[in-house]
Amino acid sequence: MSVMERRLIRETSFGLTSKLWQISWIYVLLLCTLAAVGYVALYSAAGGSAEPYASRHILRFGFGLTLMLSIALVDIRFIARTAWLGYAGAVVLLVLVLKMGHVGKGAQRWIDLGGMQWQPSELMKIALILVLASWFHRASWERMGNPLFLIPPTLAVLVPVGLILKEPNLGTALITAVVGATIFLGAGVRWWKVGLVVAGVALAAPVAYTHLHDYQRARITTFLNPESDPLGAGYNIIQSKIALGSGGMWGKGFLQGTQGHLNFLPEKQTDFIFTMLGEEFGLVGGLALLGLLCLIVVGGMLMALRCRHQFGRLVALGVSMNFFLYVLVNVAMVTGAIPVGGVPLPLVSHGGTAMITVMIGFGLLMSVHVHRDVEFGDGRDEG
Amino acid sequence: MTERRSNEPLPGNAPGPGTLARRFGAPRDAVVPRMEDVRVTAPDLARRVTMERTRGRIVIAASIFTALFAAVSVKLALATIFIPMPLRPSDQPHVAVAPKASDVATTIAPASVKAFEMPRARRAMITDRNGEVLAISLPTAAVTANPRALIDPEDAAHKLKSVLKRLDEAQVREKLSDQTKSFVYLARQISPREQMAINDLGIPGVDFERSERRRYPLGRVAAQVLGGVDVDGHGIAGAERHFETRLSEESPPLRLSLDVRVQAVVREELLAAMTEFQAIGACGIVMDVRTGEVIAMVSLPDFDLNDTRTATDDDRSNRAVGRVYEPGSTFKLQTASFALDSGIVHIWNGFDATNPIRIGRFSINDFEGKHRWLAVPEIIAYSSNIGAARMAEAAGTATQRAWMEKLGLLTRTGIELSDSALPLAPPAANWKEAATLTIGFGHGIAVTPLHVVMATGAVSNGGVLMRPTLVAVDPGAPAPTGTRIMQQTTSDTIRKLMRLVVTDGYGKPAEVPGYFVGGKTGTAEKISGHGYNKHSNVSAFMSVFPMNAPHYAVYMMLDEPHANASTHGYATAGWVSAPAAGRVIARIGPMLGLLPETDNAAAIQASLAIPMQPARPPGAAATPVPRASAPVAKTAPPVAPNRAGGSTPVTTPSVPVRAPSVVPPVATPAHDLRREAAARPVQAALVDVGR
Repeated sequence: MSVMERRLIRETSFGLTSKLWQISWIYVLLLCTLAAVGYVALYSAAGGSAEPYASRHILRFGFGLTLMLSIALVDIRFIARTAWLGYAGAVVLLVLVLKMGHVGKGAQRWIDLGGMQWQPSELMKIALILVLASWFHRASWERMGNPLFLIPPTLAVLVPVGLILKEPNLGTALITAVVGATIFLGAGVRWWKVGLVVAGVALAAPVAYTHLHDYQRARITTFLNPESDPLGAGYNIIQSKIALGSGGMWGKGFLQGTQGHLNFLPEKQTDFIFTMLGEEFGLVGGLALLGLLCLIVVGGMLMALRCRHQFGRLVALGVSMNFFLYVLVNVAMVTGAIPVGGVPLPLVSHGGTAMITVMIGFGLLMSVHVHRDVEFGDGRDEG
Repeated sequence: MTERRSNEPLPGNAPGPGTLARRFGAPRDAVVPRMEDVRVTAPDLARRVTMERTRGRIVIAASIFTALFAAVSVKLALATIFIPMPLRPSDQPHVAVAPKASDVATTIAPASVKAFEMPRARRAMITDRNGEVLAISLPTAAVTANPRALIDPEDAAHKLKSVLKRLDEAQVREKLSDQTKSFVYLARQISPREQMAINDLGIPGVDFERSERRRYPLGRVAAQVLGGVDVDGHGIAGAERHFETRLSEESPPLRLSLDVRVQAVVREELLAAMTEFQAIGACGIVMDVRTGEVIAMVSLPDFDLNDTRTATDDDRSNRAVGRVYEPGSTFKLQTASFALDSGIVHIWNGFDATNPIRIGRFSINDFEGKHRWLAVPEIIAYSSNIGAARMAEAAGTATQRAWMEKLGLLTRTGIELSDSALPLAPPAANWKEAATLTIGFGHGIAVTPLHVVMATGAVSNGGVLMRPTLVAVDPGAPAPTGTRIMQQTTSDTIRKLMRLVVTDGYGKPAEVPGYFVGGKTGTAEKISGHGYNKHSNVSAFMSVFPMNAPHYAVYMMLDEPHANASTHGYATAGWVSAPAAGRVIARIGPMLGLLPETDNAAAIQASLAIPMQPARPPGAAATPVPRASAPVAKTAPPVAPNRAGGSTPVTTPSVPVRAPSVVPPVATPAHDLRREAAARPVQAALVDVGR
């Protein structure tokens, strides 16, 4: 069966210069603004000094930006073709980190690569998004209904999640699973199947709780009642809430936050950077930052909608979801809405690899945007 | 799959329509969007259905994301302004946010307390200059009972146990059942919340006795300055003791000049340096040289004011004011000040530092000596003991002693601390040529670190002595006045000399770009037994910044530091104290509202520059010519120090000051020191110490 249709034709293969024009520079500007907020916050976290955090932050961002723009120019179809390779590489790294990685803060998560310490689990999330998107790119609605078709991608999610759990890194494992699930949903898995999985997890949770590490259990009990141990495990949340509360509506002013500068606030340059900003710039500053983050997430979703091929949509959806989860978990954590999870605020917190992986993600998003109109049929190369 | 029916080939690099690329002269054909007929196949249609569903789901996801952002925003609003985390007594050791004086009670009270009248603490609170609480009295109560008035001891004990978990129920039951007594203590130091809960139990016969407990929310920070109180709540040391009457009789908070943020930074850096160089103690002072307000005063080792059981006497002693040390080379600034201000010595004058000065069996040497004649800037920059001694000698004993008296270096500083110490100096009868020589480079006299800060502040701020104070100057109140002790122009020269030490002398590690740090190192060997000990030093760095408009003095001292590999075996001030001072300045500058000046850096530095060997004006003598008699002591009316900011702080003082001496001095024969020393042996051991 075939029908004829009149359609607007645009050229699908174009050169580097026109690709540069296709990049959404407004979106790049949003990211730069966020990194600038990070610079201000880290300047304050160091007690009013560019050393040791802020200057390195801006250097890393410069590197990340270059990386992002380079990825943006790579043809999306090439990326789709090589997704499996990236996935395989990330799995190998995850296995390596279990065998020979660094042990830090009670878990084995880090690996030395190119002079930096990397968390392969971060790279894994990007690789997983790509591999799932390329799998579902060719799927019709009918095929999505076939359970056998869903088995390979499910395994593709479960293998890295299992490896990350073994590190152990509960938070990242959960985020990886949720990012994977988002792509399943976006690709058109039936709602009832999703409901079934959610119910299964809910039933398994009490069993899993007994297998959690002591520190993870402490986090959950502390979350339920932070005041139960104000000097111990609940200290972080309480100090964070006191700092936010002392900021009030307009904040204490730049460099004037006492909770942060007197080191009452733990990890103020990484996990609790949002609290630091909240104390110094108040509710207004906090809401402004949330607004900026929301613009970045929703901007990514809009790019997903503008894309005319399924692979691009799913990649954009996955990348936005990944960024969103960072933000949500971090902000919810510092405001005391969920247990402390050690998740940084991307592009604001001090920390190299999180910044680089997030920028790689945005590079993919931008590549999707640049190549939004390319002809990209069922996954075979038509370029 | 989509097939294009048009046979017309498309240009290779044609940009899409409507993009910015068309501005760059792309062929017109390429940018015109074309409508063409294409065949749409079945898989195409199937994929479109899926795409449509994906679109729907992405929209749903975007909505959920936005909703979650909204939820997080609400949570943030709750945490910041609607239900902020209250500060409660249980958090006291960690409270760093100051309640306003007027609402102490309401801030401390939990939100649920309403009908319960919060007892007010009697002893006034102590805060820092920004209102952060340093010491606060918390109302507590003791639970008492009259066993004869009790109805059911069993039930009462059980109920009390339900509120006060720490009670031993059996013991309480026993006490309450003792009908022979009409008054027993059940528990002491309960919190207001517990008191309210027990009150709510409504047990007849149970009563409370009011008391209070002094808490220090910052624990170790500023421990020796505050001093602490005894069990009865009376100050035993430091500010608590000095202000005893004020604190117990007036209720408004006592606002000290300290800034806890600066205090914390100084303490952190001192602790780091003390650990790195395995020093036995350390002390740091930050003072506003325009008002004399002490912004930070740290002495290490320190102790936790909330838990004084393990505090030793050494922990409790405040090295900044309570002990005297030989100031060492930091005093060379004083020597330069009185020598230049007296008009006897000029900046271009040279002094013979070729050979050590011998006094009896002792000699004054230079560390890394140049073995030649040195001009005044060289003496300061290279920290020449011989040169400083010669300069003091040229100015004369009387000038030197009058200066020390005028600067308050022979009496207590007057700081509001009960444990401030009196300097040790030779009595006037023994203050002769030998003493003049050694005091010229800071030996043979011992003062507290705060004396050094006070004196250096006076010679760098334009020449006005500001008495150091611990009480914050109210923003509305008139600026504190000081005493003019030298001419503005001499002070300007001293500022340049101090800057020279950091740009070209031993103080280089203290440089912080944009802050124009000036200073002077001082390493003094400690006296042990009958002489100096070459291996135990007191290494201090006395700095002031910014040198173009002096505002803050920063003093960092390490007691008996040990050299390590990073200092190439030196434990001298330039290696151990100056870097710490630099780190402190870099961190506190922004806190104190001073941003690094980078725009006019070159111009400012040029205005502070002074040549190592200043040119001698034609006709001036190459060496100083001593005067016949001591200068007549001048008393000047109190004046405010120069508060002008910017790069040109030099303003003509409004008070009459002595013009530079133009009277040709009457020549007198030079002293023959060797003969003099031989006649009267010096008691103190003099060795090479100034660095």
